[in-house]
Amino acid sequence: MYGWIWRHLPGNAWVKALISLVLILAVVYVLFQYVFPWAEPLLPFNDVTVDNQ
Amino acid sequence: MAATTDREEHTDAAPEAPEPRRRGPGPIAMAVSVFGELLITAGLVLGLFVVYSLWWTNVLADRKADQEGDKVRDNWATSESSGPGALDTKDGIGFLHVPAMNKDEILIKKGTSTELLNDGVAGYYTDPVKATLPTSGKDGNFSLAAHRDGHGAKFHDIHKLKKGDPIVFETKDKWYVYKVYAVLPETSKYNVKVLDAIPKESGKKKAGKYITLTTCTPVFTSRYRYVVWGELERVEKVDGERTVPEELR
Repeated sequence: MYGWIWRHLPGNAWVKALISLVLILAVVYVLFQYVFPWAEPLLPFNDVTVDNQ
Repeated sequence: MAATTDREEHTDAAPEAPEPRRRGPGPIAMAVSVFGELLITAGLVLGLFVVYSLWWTNVLADRKADQEGDKVRDNWATSESSGPGALDTKDGIGFLHVPAMNKDEILIKKGTSTELLNDGVAGYYTDPVKATLPTSGKDGNFSLAAHRDGHGAKFHDIHKLKKGDPIVFETKDKWYVYKVYAVLPETSKYNVKVLDAIPKESGKKKAGKYITLTTCTPVFTSRYRYVVWGELERVEKVDGERTVPEELR
């Protein structure tokens, strides 16, 4: 999978490495900004109140 | 790994070789390799989620709570002339100081919804048992909740609170000094009785002015609730310099 992506990136090794870094940062950004905030309330790690439900 | 290198060498040697003639790894080897990479990816994502929960949410929440706290203090400073009276519950009703637990002040707002607590504040209960605000002067229980981990983690060190430790609630013109008198290290999340006006589990039978802190326990999970009770000891007027009560010095 990652090998496939690497082979399909344009340019020489340096350019590929740079593009990979940008891609990784983009993925981390999307995870932190959208995916994790969405997933967090669905996981039972952070309920602090007592209630009837 | 080896499979990838093989293929790359092959591609380098014969760049014009058409796709079908290329002898790559077999389909099973391919499937195993992709599966393995997916597992590694899942591991990395889970690791990032831990970083997000325990670090990034704190950064965001502390930033937000600082802004909101400054806003409340600004309001207090500018509305000095209007005198005591109207309680602005939207921006926050005051600050909680618990020296044994947290060096910083904790902003208190109305409600215990997830969105509200995620901003790094403590919230007072409106549901299922309504908290009695000390500013009302009535007997009752001032019940609060805040996060143990992530989102400011304002009650992270709640286990450091011992009997006799002070909990100070600061409003615009008064300091309410409470003393911890009982701790319940583990209880069910359905145990709403801990919020009662007279919390019997703490050993109290008569009406009084109590404070209740609730959060989740053990750390990093929310299987149970941790509860700390305090009782009002005295009320001090805020003077011109906002001199803090001796418990906070």
